[in-house]
Amino acid sequence: MRDLEVDAISLSFGGLQVLNEVSLSVSKGEILALIGPNGAGKTTVFNCISGLYRPSGQIRFKAQDIAGLRPHDVAALGIARTFQHGEVFARLSVADNLMAARHRMIRSNPLTELLGLPSARRQEREHRAEIARILDLVDLTPVADMPVTALPYGTQKLVGFARALALGPSLLLLDEPSAGLTRDEREDLAHFILKTRDALGIAMIWIEHDMQMVADLADRIHVLDYGRSLADGPPAQVLNDPDVIRAYLGTTGD
Amino acid sequence: MSKTKLLALILAAAALLALPFTVSGAWMDIANQILLASIGALALMLLTGFAGQISLGHAGLLAAGAFTAGILSRELGAPFWVGIPAAGLTGALLGVIFGLPSLRLRGIYLAVSTLALHFLVVYLGGEYETRRGFSTGILIDPPMVFGIELWDPFAWYPVLLVGAILTYALSRNLLKSRTGRAWAAIHDTEPVAAALGINVARTKLWAFVITSAITAMAGALFAYYRGFVSIEAFSLFVTIQYVAMIIIGGMGSLTGAVLGAAFVTLLPHLIEGATRYLPTGGAISGSVFAMNYAAFGLIMIAFLVFEPGGLMGIARRLKGRG
Repeated sequence: MRDLEVDAISLSFGGLQVLNEVSLSVSKGEILALIGPNGAGKTTVFNCISGLYRPSGQIRFKAQDIAGLRPHDVAALGIARTFQHGEVFARLSVADNLMAARHRMIRSNPLTELLGLPSARRQEREHRAEIARILDLVDLTPVADMPVTALPYGTQKLVGFARALALGPSLLLLDEPSAGLTRDEREDLAHFILKTRDALGIAMIWIEHDMQMVADLADRIHVLDYGRSLADGPPAQVLNDPDVIRAYLGTTGD
Repeated sequence: MSKTKLLALILAAAALLALPFTVSGAWMDIANQILLASIGALALMLLTGFAGQISLGHAGLLAAGAFTAGILSRELGAPFWVGIPAAGLTGALLGVIFGLPSLRLRGIYLAVSTLALHFLVVYLGGEYETRRGFSTGILIDPPMVFGIELWDPFAWYPVLLVGAILTYALSRNLLKSRTGRAWAAIHDTEPVAAALGINVARTKLWAFVITSAITAMAGALFAYYRGFVSIEAFSLFVTIQYVAMIIIGGMGSLTGAVLGAAFVTLLPHLIEGATRYLPTGGAISGSVFAMNYAAFGLIMIAFLVFEPGGLMGIARRLKGRG
């Protein structure tokens, strides 16, 4: 049984067919790389899974149909994601960005919070301890109390990754986590992705343009081209597929 | 807390405690008005400066609270401790109604829809006044609080001071917890907040409910303080004044809300004082009201153009330099 099954989803904006019968799946502990040229529909697939768009077709998560659920209900099932440009909450500190993602798990309400009741404060403490562990996992502890906008772009994207982990996901959607990162930051990121998979054993779908990283880290690759599924399989097989080379990597084999 | 911050806090506390023993009744009244305005400005700051929701319904909500307290006092002889929470409940209920458009609209469209509700509340207040024959307004007897009859500004000062400090402290509690973080998140970007598990609609509604309840209670306090409620006191200019308070004070800062409340409350008095020293003498003293409007507009534009961070922005820069 696969954790997530995307079953023939299609989506069009006006006359533009963005996704055409895309099917893919990922299991617990597996890293699926989602690759394809710009505009192939990779981020659109994520937006469909997280409930921001409503495609036709079925999306099943742990056997439950989640197509049509509202985004926060999808997140409540344990599907977390990062965004292409980090999209961190600029008004919050690093630690509070992570705390914001624990929203669904913190059991307090505006009244107990207003009055600062012990129950609300206990919740706050427990979840702060939890995010301290996550910050430690990705080496962000030294900047925990910094305003997130004071950090360099690469670190902000790492905060976005840590924020997704803070949601306590069983499926993680990573949207070009390495784009805009320096060589060193990429190596750190690769390390954190593997560490996360090994420590938490969660399923990941990972949009990536760095083919070296994909070849090194992914268990499987799914290729999208003009909104269609072009290929799916182990890295060695997919990256040598003539169709994939023609569509994406270019005939020169860049 | 740093040493300088602690020292500033002690000095501020000492000044607030010493104030009633050093000023005239007229200045005590102005201090009380600043405290009342602070409560309303803190509420609007939470809504707009933190949750990012625009509202032009502030005067309407103040009116709703003032009328709730006034009607309960006049019709049923209800005491202060019934009037204030009742106003809070009325505000919370109106907050749901004020907040519903925010689920579909944003920016200027949301502002216009809250404006419509302002006029609805003002209309209902006016209808009540005419139907009941209180065409000039409702008189309210001085309330009893902890066995003390609040009949002059000096008796009111401690009550309003506690009210303002409580509002500030509770607002801070809220901002530092789950709800406050969710407000910051939806203020930044709604789809991202939603994809991370935050129910955007519920978060917005809570923002309107909580801040409307506080605003209505501020309106009720205002009614008790004045001993008189009239719908004329809640014109659109009042809303503009509150919006000015949070802009001038500095968006996204609770302290800014208090500074803005003080600034806007003091402004007409400063202008009045200034006209006395003008060579025209008493000739323009009759137009202080008009000058207040004009100065107000100019100052608001000046802040928006030159110092969008408001008074808090100026304070932060001074601190950075020092």
